[in-house]
Amino acid sequence: MSDTDKANNHGSLTDIIEQTGEDIKNGRYPLDIMNNPELYRLELRRIFGQAWIYLGHVSEFEEPGDYARRYIGEDPFILTRDENGELHAFLDSCMHRGAQFCTAENGNTSHFRCPYHGWTYKNDGTLQGMPHMTEAYQDLDEEEITLEEACLETYQGLIFGRIAEEGPPLAEYLGDFTWYLDVLFGATEAGMRVVGEPHRWESSHDWKTSADNFSGDSYHVLTTHQAGLETETLSKGPWEELNDFPAASYLACTDRHSMGYYLSEDRETFMGYPEAITDYLNPTLSAEQRELFGRSVFHFGTIFPNMSLIHGIQSGGWGGPWACIRKWNPRGPGTTETTSWWLVPKEFTDDESFLSESHRGWESLSPGGAFESDDLTIWEGISNSSGAVTHELRNTQGNMQQGMGAMTDEVDTIDDPLHGPAEVTSKGLYFDERNSRTILQSWYEMMSDDQKNDNDPEMEIES
Amino acid sequence: MSSFPVSEGETAVDVETQHSVEQFLYREADLLDSFALEEWLTLLDKDILLEVPIRVDRHPGSKRPNFSETTNYLREDYEMIRERVGRLEKEYAWSENPRSRIRHVIGNVRVTESTDSELTVANNQHVFRSYGDTADHDLLSAQRHTVLRRPDEDGDGFSIGQRTVYLDHSILNTKNLTLPLL
Repeated sequence: MSDTDKANNHGSLTDIIEQTGEDIKNGRYPLDIMNNPELYRLELRRIFGQAWIYLGHVSEFEEPGDYARRYIGEDPFILTRDENGELHAFLDSCMHRGAQFCTAENGNTSHFRCPYHGWTYKNDGTLQGMPHMTEAYQDLDEEEITLEEACLETYQGLIFGRIAEEGPPLAEYLGDFTWYLDVLFGATEAGMRVVGEPHRWESSHDWKTSADNFSGDSYHVLTTHQAGLETETLSKGPWEELNDFPAASYLACTDRHSMGYYLSEDRETFMGYPEAITDYLNPTLSAEQRELFGRSVFHFGTIFPNMSLIHGIQSGGWGGPWACIRKWNPRGPGTTETTSWWLVPKEFTDDESFLSESHRGWESLSPGGAFESDDLTIWEGISNSSGAVTHELRNTQGNMQQGMGAMTDEVDTIDDPLHGPAEVTSKGLYFDERNSRTILQSWYEMMSDDQKNDNDPEMEIES
Repeated sequence: MSSFPVSEGETAVDVETQHSVEQFLYREADLLDSFALEEWLTLLDKDILLEVPIRVDRHPGSKRPNFSETTNYLREDYEMIRERVGRLEKEYAWSENPRSRIRHVIGNVRVTESTDSELTVANNQHVFRSYGDTADHDLLSAQRHTVLRRPDEDGDGFSIGQRTVYLDHSILNTKNLTLPLL
């Protein structure tokens, strides 16, 4: 039987997926989808096998031969820049017997040699040769032996890969979210650069939990991060100007992705960047994008499924401004390896005092950070409880109803070109949970049988 | 090839100095394990720099460094450490509520440099961490390099002038990295 026929107390996987689709309409969802081994197997195929997945930033691959190990779902890919300057992403699996040959997180090499029988590939994925080639492979079509390669596209320096050979182009997949990526990763003319190595850590939480949190949840900050906000001596920068956090906050949802941000009334805020930022602004920004960036204090969001972003200055005085790209690598049901890269505008890469403050902001949202260390404890608890049989037997539902029906009269829909093409609400970061519903709706649309094309492979499951 | 950044060589110190260095590190570890962080703060010099650089999985022979020279899990001056200690004392600092059960085991203590005013000390450590209502635990393995300042005439012990914690993990195996785990 296929995965979707797998019986459990919900009936089948199809039932729980379709039930989720129905529940979201009422701002509810089955709590046990956050830690469910059978659903997880299907997520790897239907979401991570089909969606555009963030792999890296072009600044990490400037020289021919630069490479890094990156993952699509749990599949180990190697992202390379070949000798002609083209980017590729290959599965780390030799076409002879499937052995893995990448021996480092990143580095620079002209070729990869499999340690098993010595088959060797150029950094464009084509076969270079193998031992005893002239004796043992006289009838081999060398052109046929190339590594499995993911589809690759970039936007604003962000490199995305996709396993499925068919699907929408990246720009279509990102949709209206590109307008915001222009502001966050293309604000200056030279663009952004990754600095140093990323934070990496593994924790017992589901990738969907952190993707949801970063999609626009400031409601949790009051409780989760109270200790981080209560610093005594640190300068709070542009946050001092915001008397009322909800009133300064906005939630922007496209049909698939979501982000939240805080704006100041001061049009020269620029997230607290040094004044020189105005000399570097990208002339391709529209007047609205420039004004949005000028008033910006802090942005965070999620590109479905597992890329999140931050760009801003940290509240509580904990440093910045900085930009960060997050990747929630699935590592099993209820387990995630987080990779967190630090980025700065290229124009500031030699400004030591800026870098020091920027690093501190990035660090505040790391496993050692004054903020994120608290999130991680809580997310692990969600994963633990989501596996509860009680949830399964009683069909326990979680709640994401903020902003629905008569729940609030605080949230206003914004129709001002300053805020770009998404649906934007004021105070949405605190009183509206459309962000969570958007991300879960994206999950539903990729998981549902009804929405699938027919090339989804049938999977046998052990009984 | 960039090697593991162990300070080169050894400096012969007398048995009494070796003994007092070890006793200092053991006492400090007890303070961390018992969350006596205000008392631990008194061991730090005001110009301290505490760093936990990111370790990277490298190809042997790579020219790139095994520990990032630009990015850290933590890079803290005294003021930031003090803010962190104050933070952890709050009930709603959820990263350590409930408190982790922590135990440092310190070994391989070597004085690698010695001057009239300070000693540079390397030590290996395994830090056990158990958290919440579970039988599970995390184990953090590291080598620390610590600059210990000798006491002045009125002083009664060493103080910590600088510390770098070189983790043996390229992917952290614990959900967060709080001060008592270093």
